[in-house]
Amino acid sequence: MNDMFNGMTDGLTSSLSAPWESLAFCLLLLVAPAIAVSQKRRWHLPSLIVGLVVALFASSGTVAYAAVAFAAIFHALDAAPQSRTGAATLAASAVIALAVAAALYFDLLTLAFGLSLLAIALRAGVMPFHVGVASLCDHAPVVQTQQLSSTIALVFVHLRFVDHHAAAIAAGPALVRYGAVAAFTAALMTLVQKDLRGFYRGTTAMHGGMLLAGIGAASIGNFAAALLVAVTMGLALGGLGMMITSLEERVGRVMFSGPGGRVSAFPKLAAAFALFGGAGIAVPGTAGFVADDLLLHTLWMESPTGTVAVILSSALLAIATLIAYSQTFLGKPASSLAPDLYLHERVVALVLLVLLVVLGLAPGVLLEPADAFLSGPPTGPG
Amino acid sequence: MIDLVRAALALAILAPLLSVAAVIGLVLLQQRAPSERAVSRLVGTGLVTSVVCGLIVLAGYAGWFAAPIRGDVEFGSWLRIGDFVIPAVLLLDGISITIALFSAFLTALVARFSRTYLHKEPGFVRFFTLLGVFATGTQLVALAGALELFFAGWELIGISSAFFIGFFHERAEPVRSSIRAFATYRVSDAGLLIATVTTFELLGSARFSAFSGAAALPAAQSTAIALLFLLSAMGKSAQLPFSGWLPRAMEGPTPSSALFYGAVSIHAGLFLLLRVWPVLEVSMIARTLGVIVGLATAVYASAVVRVHTDAKGALAHATLAQVGLILAEICLGWTTLALIHLVCHAFLRLGQYLKAPNTIHDSHRLGHEHREIGLLERWSPNLASRVYAASLHRLRLDDRIDAVFAPLLSLARGIDRADRWLRRVGSFDRSSG
Repeated sequence: MNDMFNGMTDGLTSSLSAPWESLAFCLLLLVAPAIAVSQKRRWHLPSLIVGLVVALFASSGTVAYAAVAFAAIFHALDAAPQSRTGAATLAASAVIALAVAAALYFDLLTLAFGLSLLAIALRAGVMPFHVGVASLCDHAPVVQTQQLSSTIALVFVHLRFVDHHAAAIAAGPALVRYGAVAAFTAALMTLVQKDLRGFYRGTTAMHGGMLLAGIGAASIGNFAAALLVAVTMGLALGGLGMMITSLEERVGRVMFSGPGGRVSAFPKLAAAFALFGGAGIAVPGTAGFVADDLLLHTLWMESPTGTVAVILSSALLAIATLIAYSQTFLGKPASSLAPDLYLHERVVALVLLVLLVVLGLAPGVLLEPADAFLSGPPTGPG
Repeated sequence: MIDLVRAALALAILAPLLSVAAVIGLVLLQQRAPSERAVSRLVGTGLVTSVVCGLIVLAGYAGWFAAPIRGDVEFGSWLRIGDFVIPAVLLLDGISITIALFSAFLTALVARFSRTYLHKEPGFVRFFTLLGVFATGTQLVALAGALELFFAGWELIGISSAFFIGFFHERAEPVRSSIRAFATYRVSDAGLLIATVTTFELLGSARFSAFSGAAALPAAQSTAIALLFLLSAMGKSAQLPFSGWLPRAMEGPTPSSALFYGAVSIHAGLFLLLRVWPVLEVSMIARTLGVIVGLATAVYASAVVRVHTDAKGALAHATLAQVGLILAEICLGWTTLALIHLVCHAFLRLGQYLKAPNTIHDSHRLGHEHREIGLLERWSPNLASRVYAASLHRLRLDDRIDAVFAPLLSLARGIDRADRWLRRVGSFDRSSG
């Protein structure tokens, strides 16, 4: 009796906590830019939150994908004034998500799987589907950070509803290789960027490739690894994007024409940039380290050559990150009248960093419930 | 006793990290920068705690007060998903305790020295923060019982090293040097990461205690893993052809140069090879290559050290020569000799580096040593002048490495051009990059 009770309690906890935890990360990424950066239009936030809640808690794949599409449309509307390319991409991903919903309704799982992957590639900026996300990085960085939240939700929904069948398993090795090549290409490109936005574009595309590889490996049961990669990508890139936006609000566009020497004027901003950049390149103690380690072990099962390519991509991105940091912050001190990070910016950065560290030191907090939840049959959360 | 040793083991690693966290807290909470005294005391306390914990661990290992505690000490698992486990395990053996204690002691010593040496230096807080990160990394490397934990410490050492090299970032050269050192680290670290994943898949565990199973692996697999470990050690310990970053690393403050490139960090690659000795032992190819690389580095560094005109650069190459010899010793199977050589060499170099700023003063006081004509010059003046010229430009190692990576950079530029074209064609925006 006691065992049965414990089993029920454990089952309830695990099945409830995975969507709840994912929701917490998504909400944080949605709200953080609105607090850190002076975002004028906040009317869409409640609608987006509703969309995310429905997507993460729906017991039907059709409803979940429809909710993801709903959220994408709001992101597209928000992005349209600054980035038409980004808005078009988000709208396209919404249409594709609706198509996935329809395919799931008619039980066309293979079609749903393929379309869902396309939607993820568009949203995560996997090369060569990265044009829209690159435009968001350049022209609408706040929307880019916010759309990362619903990208996590999209990955969650994909892992839960369309990644459990034979076609997904058969496509695994090819996806891993494709993701690895995309990540390597993006990492190489990041190495030769001439401005900070270019670095951010390249970093995003590299992480997109890694995410796709992780999803490829997820189909044989490594669901938690793919989710952790998505969450880490959201937190690290979201934080990095906000810091870049904060810096550009103060000093304008940052070109890599020589050491910028901004660390003396903006020491806290420089530290936050370094920490988010570090999380993105798997510095020990952050979620990035565990995500990379876990991902590499899972990728190895599908494609050892793909794994080597991902490891090399990570090394190249690390070098590119140090170059970007040096070009932006190090060098002869440059004077600036602009203030360092404001309190609200610091609080947002600190919260994201604490989460990255908590996930880095105790990854089981997210991974164990996620693994228990996503490995099971695609049914309702409770 | 076991509980005390377990607590001491954990604290030896965590104490420096906690002191760094406290310094960061001070920086964030206070409007102005924390005082030098507060920072040096906080980090110093963490480092001394690490030394004391090391001594307690030594007592536990030697069995001074109870039965000796040896082998794997479990702290549960860092991560567990189904069958996949990253264990939080530390390893207590003669090598780990030697390295942990001597690196903790030297780091604490350097911290004390730096308190005076870097007084009123603008980067004082940064220096001590990085020192704490480095201490955590070295303790983790020394005591790790599995490759994942080892790699975490290895990375912390690499990152703190890069930031120390670029410490005087107002000048362009230290920044360039730090990027070059970091790039070398990351490329060779890729070898360690691939070896970690491969070892896990082939042996079923990345624990060092499982490495005895390497003897049962097919020769090709054990050789591949051993070569990857060797590659990683060569990068970290600046062995040929990766020696170019070491003289550049002298751009950092003298205390960090002493600690990193005289005493601890430069020997980390050698420690890795001692740690994974069961894998290296069964691969004759990797061992032979290690001996060749070690001896070649020793000859190269001995030649370069004779033409160097600055004290730290000369010391760096003198260090390199000894590190090359230790690498050869390890690969020849003389692991105990190598460990003793490593520790003695680290102490000697630390003293020499810390004394390097006084060299000019000493040379005025003691006079210059008259240079004798060498054996090679007498035997073959022509060859001697060629060696002299080659040593002056250090075999153009950096240029050769750049030439190897040039096609990769050309490819990167090509991809970037293609990306720009793609974004221009696929864009609906008015202006796009």
